[in-house]
Amino acid sequence: MLSLGPIALTAPWMLLGLAALPLIWWLLRITPPAPRRVRFPPIRILFDLRGEEETPAATPLWLALLRLLLAALVVLALAHPLLHPGADLSGKGPVVLVIDDGWAAAPNWLLRQQAALSLVERAKRRQRPVLILSTAPPAEGGAIQASGLLQAAEAEPLLRALQPKPWSPDRAAAAAATEVLTFTEQPTVYWLSDGIDSPGRKTLAGALAALGPLHLLQQDAGQRAMALLPPVLSGDGLQATVLRAGKQNLGTVTVRALGEKGRVLGQGQARFGIDQDRAVADIALPGDLRNRALRLELAGAGSAAASVLLDERWRRRPVGLVSGAMMEERAQPLLSNLYYLERALQPYAELRRGGIEALLQRPLAVLVLADIGQITKARQQRLGQWLKDGGMLVRFAGPHLAQGPDPLIPTALRQGGRALGGSLSWSKPAGLAAFPKHSPFHGLAVPADVLVKRQVLAQPSQDLSQRTWASLADGTPIVTAVPKGQGWLVLFHVTANASWSNLPLSGLFVNMMRRLTAMSRGVAAAGEAVVQRQLPPLANLDAFGRLGPPAPGAEAINARDIDKLEAGPKNPPGYYGREDDRRALNLSQTRQTLRPITELSVPAQMTGYLQDREEDLKPWLLLAAFLLALADLVAVLALRGLLRPGVRVAVLPLAAMLLLPDSNLSAQQYSSAEQFAMAAALDTRLAYVLTGDGQVDEMSRAGLTGLSDILRLRTSIEPEAPMAVNVERDPLVLFPILYWPVVPTQPALSDSAIARISQYMRTGGTIVFDSRDAGNNMPLLRRRLGAGGSASERLRYLLSRLDLPPVAPVPPGHVLTRSFYLLQDFPGRYVGGQVWVERRSGGLNDGVSALIIGGNDWAAAWAMDARHRPLVLPTPGGARQREMAYRFGVNLVMYALTGNYKSDQVHIPTILERLGQ
Amino acid sequence: MTPVAANRIGARAEQLAAALPALLVAADRVAATVVQGVHGRRRVGSGETFWQYRRYQGGDSATAIDWRQSAKSQKTFVRENEWEAAQSVWMWRDGSASMDYQSKTGTASERKQDRADLLLLALASLLLRGGEHVGLYGQDSIATGGRATLNRLGAHLLDPRTGEAGLPAPGRLPRLAQLVLFSDFLAPLEEIEALVKGFANQGARGHMVQILDGAEEDLPFHGRTEFEGTEGEGKVLIGRVESLRDDYRRRMAVQREGLNDIARRAGWGFAVHRTDRSPQTALLALFSALSGQLDGPAGQTKL
Repeated sequence: MLSLGPIALTAPWMLLGLAALPLIWWLLRITPPAPRRVRFPPIRILFDLRGEEETPAATPLWLALLRLLLAALVVLALAHPLLHPGADLSGKGPVVLVIDDGWAAAPNWLLRQQAALSLVERAKRRQRPVLILSTAPPAEGGAIQASGLLQAAEAEPLLRALQPKPWSPDRAAAAAATEVLTFTEQPTVYWLSDGIDSPGRKTLAGALAALGPLHLLQQDAGQRAMALLPPVLSGDGLQATVLRAGKQNLGTVTVRALGEKGRVLGQGQARFGIDQDRAVADIALPGDLRNRALRLELAGAGSAAASVLLDERWRRRPVGLVSGAMMEERAQPLLSNLYYLERALQPYAELRRGGIEALLQRPLAVLVLADIGQITKARQQRLGQWLKDGGMLVRFAGPHLAQGPDPLIPTALRQGGRALGGSLSWSKPAGLAAFPKHSPFHGLAVPADVLVKRQVLAQPSQDLSQRTWASLADGTPIVTAVPKGQGWLVLFHVTANASWSNLPLSGLFVNMMRRLTAMSRGVAAAGEAVVQRQLPPLANLDAFGRLGPPAPGAEAINARDIDKLEAGPKNPPGYYGREDDRRALNLSQTRQTLRPITELSVPAQMTGYLQDREEDLKPWLLLAAFLLALADLVAVLALRGLLRPGVRVAVLPLAAMLLLPDSNLSAQQYSSAEQFAMAAALDTRLAYVLTGDGQVDEMSRAGLTGLSDILRLRTSIEPEAPMAVNVERDPLVLFPILYWPVVPTQPALSDSAIARISQYMRTGGTIVFDSRDAGNNMPLLRRRLGAGGSASERLRYLLSRLDLPPVAPVPPGHVLTRSFYLLQDFPGRYVGGQVWVERRSGGLNDGVSALIIGGNDWAAAWAMDARHRPLVLPTPGGARQREMAYRFGVNLVMYALTGNYKSDQVHIPTILERLGQ
Repeated sequence: MTPVAANRIGARAEQLAAALPALLVAADRVAATVVQGVHGRRRVGSGETFWQYRRYQGGDSATAIDWRQSAKSQKTFVRENEWEAAQSVWMWRDGSASMDYQSKTGTASERKQDRADLLLLALASLLLRGGEHVGLYGQDSIATGGRATLNRLGAHLLDPRTGEAGLPAPGRLPRLAQLVLFSDFLAPLEEIEALVKGFANQGARGHMVQILDGAEEDLPFHGRTEFEGTEGEGKVLIGRVESLRDDYRRRMAVQREGLNDIARRAGWGFAVHRTDRSPQTALLALFSALSGQLDGPAGQTKL
């Protein structure tokens, strides 16, 4: 490679060709251009003048220079120059490419691929072998392995096929893979990193530095991948946390909630402060919108960790409310049992009210029974079943329940209850104790001003403390719960209104209800309650965050583990479970932070990706040479006087057409189709189908022309000249009726043509199939359709592929027999061929049969030449038969155009009779 | 020439002629009493204009007696009209291959042949409307009048056999006829002079109209050019045409002067017309020359 400033030549020896330029110069100068030729009448005068001057003609200087330039350009192009060539790779041995292909590499994957390809390209110039090692575990399972030494030509397709994986790289495993490598020469190592730190980073850096000089390529901190954590429910939507790598400047990213078909349902901004690596975005999704959100994604991030799939856990759950004291509530809302419940649950759940039976008709996550004492046996059974299936029943105590509870409570209760801090009591209202660890309320702060004045008391028992989720400061249980099947039965030992305690007035109550709602429907945090269930993969994300079919290597997941599982080759992120009950496995659910790779513990040269501006000049030089050749052609034409003004005007667009992709061509095709459509649509026309047999087509044309003339003479239909239709290509819908002569050589129809013909018949078109062979057959054989000559066989084959209604011979009194003339039969060139129509062409398409099948060769009977003389003699009937054939043609067209209104004529005698009375 | 082209030329000729009044060829021997369509001969003869009353003589037809005049006196008078006769104009145009030339396509100019046909027909149309008799020299044996004549002329021009020669063949003309020649007159001067003398000796008067293409006058070519004759004269390759341009123009001027001399000696008119100029001006000049409005003997006219 020869380097000249910013330009380098890949094949400098080609420049020897420049030595030939003087030779070309000499040749050009001694070969004159051809003279221009002119016819000239007063040539006698020129004869006399000749001889005064006869300079030797030579190629004009500028033309010679033009051609020299052309030759020089071709030689330069062959020398293959490069602009801003990349520096040669250092070292001599093989080139080791280590590529991070985890999720974090998916944004700007093209950039990484380009960088890798340009490294390979440069290795190719020095004939250095290449070794490729990708750090993410392969999708098909198995350990990470290096590729082995490859030639550049083999490495290129490998790199082009390499795709990022929707999980994290396993750098420790990659480091292990390098240990088995041995090289005869010391290799140069390039690590195309995604810039996100992971546990094995130090190991890998050490292993790579041990191989040879290490170069680390990574992007600026601001361009590295970001991650979106699974959102939490907020009052009016979702709240999502965005992570970025390391501490950087201010920044804003948009988080979008997407619904069906990628529709944006809502979005929120996450603003990173200076040196903050996380930010929170609030996405407002009021009402039903949250239930329709299917995924969250970081706008413009395009990686698996930047998209979060949403499942049931993020939906608003239906909560049913039933109160024992319906009557009081309307009068005094503040004393209502449900008043505070409604306000606590409203933001997070969908509330329904009504009787127990009615509420259980529909799927329900939580059912709250406020102070209901006795439930009938039937309802108890119903509730028990619902609990087993995963329902959560929350009961509140109250006067009714205190009197005589039914068995549907978590723990046995003492009769009555206890009152604290009454006027006759020494005890004071009690506060709440901190929540025990096994309680779903664990972690909620307990405000000191929550006091309980009255409660129902649980009978002491062995497992009471296990069943207690909340207790008073003195240890008395205030919330008890017991699992029932997949569901939970929860009892608050106080009322849902403020009469027994001020708990419903506190913020704690809101949080408790939220936790209970979140826990419902089989999403319980308490592990032992969940049945071990295998969730098969349903749909998987790729590394770019696009949802696709299940990945080949994906395995089923135990439902218990799905919340804690880290995505990997066996469990790529995506949906698992059944279509109606799916759980999302998100790549980011186990992630807490994103740390950037800032420095390696081993010596390494760190660079960015955007340093390669190498440009190949060869195609540009060849293009310039080609343009010069065009200019030379024009110049030579001009010198010979062959460029007349018209030609001159034409040459420029021609040259432009050579260079620019042309759009006129398609426009012209379009306009020919348009012309056909306009010709067909602007006038009423008969049409016939081209069969490919010239004689038959000509006969069809002549026949329909003759019929058109007859129609114009005798009826108010005034058709223009008939048109030929190619069923494979032309639109059929523009014609009311198609005449289709069937020939034995009828080519098979393509599927699209079949579809269009079926569509044509369904949407109101009428096709007349004519097998044209009624005269060839024995009368006996004629009865059955398709038992005739080979045209009939062809017709039968053709019809078998179409979507046809059932057909029947024309019944007596059919509209076809009286739509204009009264006819008994339908003669054409032959007589007696059976004619078939749709069996029941009821209300559809105005009662017009979509197809009429016959073999009487009608077109031949109708055919006229330009002077209106018949072309074919009908057999056996002569002129009268032709007249009847015309009458049939008139009836046929009338029938197709007017539909069934002539069939009303049947009733006219009756109507007249009635009018007479 | 295709029939379509012929029709087009005919139509254009009519159009051109419509702009001018009907043409009466000036007849020297006739006084200025020009009546539309005929030249009075100041003699008694057949005609429509009153000339004199004369005493009835034996042998006069009774129908010739003017009874009104006779009733005014004792004598019987016969009414006599003036003898009126039309001039005959003979035309000829060059049909040789050298006329089939047009230097630039697509501009206002046209083939010399077409221009010659156009001028001939337009002139004929004018003459016919003036009542003169017109004939195509070399084709017609007598000159005729009326609209049919124009069609006949057109048909003759259309006939490919008409006039392949570069100059008209010498022949007899009726006495006192006028002759109009349209050609590029690129033939040697001696031949042209001999021909014109022959006609002049018969007492014919005439006009020569030289029709040239702009390129033939200016020689607008440059560079290395190979010229080829249109009538098989051969080819000539010239290195730098622009160096010859002045000499060429001089030679063309010499040719034109020679033609002018020939015309003057014979008492004829001579005019030059370029195809890139408007045919109207040429027709107008011809009109004036033929109608004798130019003073003295017809001189060279630049059309």
